[in-house]
Amino acid sequence: MRPAPAAALLFGLAAAALLARHTVSVAALAALLLLVCLRAPVSRRWPYLVGAVGSAAALFVLTPFVERLPGTVYWSGPSIPVVGTLDVTSTELSGALFNACRLAAVSLAFAVYALWLDHDRLVQAAGFARRSVLAVALATRLVPALERDASGLVEALRGRGVEPEGLRGRARLLSPLLAGSLERSLNLAEAMEARGFGRPGATRLPQPRWGAREQVALAGAVLAVVVGALWL
Amino acid sequence: MALARTEGLSYAYPGSAAPALRDVSVDLAPGQVTVVLGRSGSGKSTLLRAFAGLVPHFHGGRFSGRVEVAGLDTRRHHPARLAGTVATLFQDPEDQVVFTRVLNEVAFGLENVGTPPRQIEWRALEALRSVGAEHLAGRLVTELSGGELQRVCLAATLALEPQLLLLDEPTSQLDPEAAKALIELALQLARDRGTSVVLSEQRPVLPFEICDRVLFLEDGRLAFDGLVGRARTWLEQHHPLFVSDGGWAGVHRPTHGQVTCRLDGVSFAYEDNLLVLDSASIELRRGEIVALVGPNGSGKTTLAKLAAGLLEPLSGRVERRGRPTYLSQDPGRYVLRERAVDEVAVGVDGDLAAASRALAAVGLIGCEDRHPRDLSSGERERLALAAVLAPDPDLLVLDEPTRGVDPERKLELAALLRANTTRATLVVTHDVLFAKTVADRIVSLAPDRELANV
Repeated sequence: MRPAPAAALLFGLAAAALLARHTVSVAALAALLLLVCLRAPVSRRWPYLVGAVGSAAALFVLTPFVERLPGTVYWSGPSIPVVGTLDVTSTELSGALFNACRLAAVSLAFAVYALWLDHDRLVQAAGFARRSVLAVALATRLVPALERDASGLVEALRGRGVEPEGLRGRARLLSPLLAGSLERSLNLAEAMEARGFGRPGATRLPQPRWGAREQVALAGAVLAVVVGALWL
Repeated sequence: MALARTEGLSYAYPGSAAPALRDVSVDLAPGQVTVVLGRSGSGKSTLLRAFAGLVPHFHGGRFSGRVEVAGLDTRRHHPARLAGTVATLFQDPEDQVVFTRVLNEVAFGLENVGTPPRQIEWRALEALRSVGAEHLAGRLVTELSGGELQRVCLAATLALEPQLLLLDEPTSQLDPEAAKALIELALQLARDRGTSVVLSEQRPVLPFEICDRVLFLEDGRLAFDGLVGRARTWLEQHHPLFVSDGGWAGVHRPTHGQVTCRLDGVSFAYEDNLLVLDSASIELRRGEIVALVGPNGSGKTTLAKLAAGLLEPLSGRVERRGRPTYLSQDPGRYVLRERAVDEVAVGVDGDLAAASRALAAVGLIGCEDRHPRDLSSGERERLALAAVLAPDPDLLVLDEPTRGVDPERKLELAALLRANTTRATLVVTHDVLFAKTVADRIVSLAPDRELANV
């Protein structure tokens, strides 16, 4: 399938997850997207899965402590200034689960986009706002590039006999990682300018026409939004 | 009439007190092949960037003088406007790749310069064919070897059919055979089309055989500009290492020191389960320097990482005595701390005195308080070396330590390594000349994964 209708379909599924009102519906969408992610090679999929599942799990754990909703109290803790008494109620838990599923579904839709779509063709297919689409495609490549850079930094540390241990040890790599990605982006920007990027009058490779699958995917994207808004 | 010229060109990068180029005046004729030589940081890349208009438009800084390409003043015309007339192949192919698929990558420049849509695909394929890479058109760039990727990048520049082709150390990551093939190919294609070529190189022996003219830069000044015959004589007098063919080899010492590292029948495979090493065996003794050579993809880096304990073998045994350190190919990985001295001290539990000694040993006295990212590329290479020397390892493993290093700096590095007689050193390198200079023993890793003494 061509990447533009596939991206539209993923956008539709993410929108459906945001519009749906039932936890089961959102969880089903998240599960569907998770299955698609799991078909990607392990070495490529793990940063996305860790990001999506980790952030959803963190949201589920933290939400009950910061919300104050009535319901059956499962746990009551100490009173903290400003926040008040910490407790976990049934309503807070169900709300946390719903929001965690939503976040997981949207993150996993992005993961499928990053793992499975041909970003080159997506950029080529962009009839308008090509610069923005290219920027998004390049940003999508940032995740695997950061992962490679992080492995390189860890390897250079181990090469000096130093093991980066624990969360703090890994956290110290964040700043050099970001600085490194900035440096890389400058090099790339320079190479792009030298190759004429941004010059008026650019053309593009002719694109093949859409087939039946592409049209079905586009219809599916619209249907997902409508169904998500009205019935899920 | 000159295709391109600089007149009294001086330039300093933003925040830099010393100019990168000083009063450089050069004319480039159509169809002429010019090699730019000079030590690291002498201004070679900056001169090429000035011809592409990237200096000053992309980098900013202080610029004076004049640069013209095909009648266009580069101060009035942005690099994007010059693209097509000028094409640049940069040193590191991974930093210039925009797309993930080869055909799209080659087509990118053609699209930007407004090539009629119907011509884009066949011109891109034609360019790939001309560099022998047509079969790669549908492949992902991440699947390509370094040599293949550099060929694709060359195709992307040739597809534009430029009048001026700038090649900025395009072979620094390639083995000698691949480097020779790439340069010969680029120059042959350029000659066929009457393109003027400017090639900056650290390995000048090959370009000498095929170039017309040599420029030599010293601290940003044009120290020599002349035809290749005269250049040889001038270089022999002033910078003999740039025309040496191996005559500066050191004295090789027989060693009977204790075995520091032994790899015995070691095999290794990455995730794809293809064997990178198959039953490889090697011994490294105290007091000896072993150079490991071989073509791209033969498993040299893997063997080095196994020796240093960064990888575990699939089968076979690795025995090690004492502490190993490993120098990565990429000096950009030694930038974790805010000051150079702190960065070097990472491997010695924060011992700043030991770190300062290591910095002094590599010639970085006075750089202790500078941020590693503010150092020049040559200084970063030396900082990385200091970082692995500081722990005074029993086994020192260096992976391509001469990448982008000029011949004079290589000789200094060889002297530094040979001054130590107590540790075992393994040097992985494409640079056969450096291997001959530094090593007591050269071991070749052939494409069939066989290790052999040379």
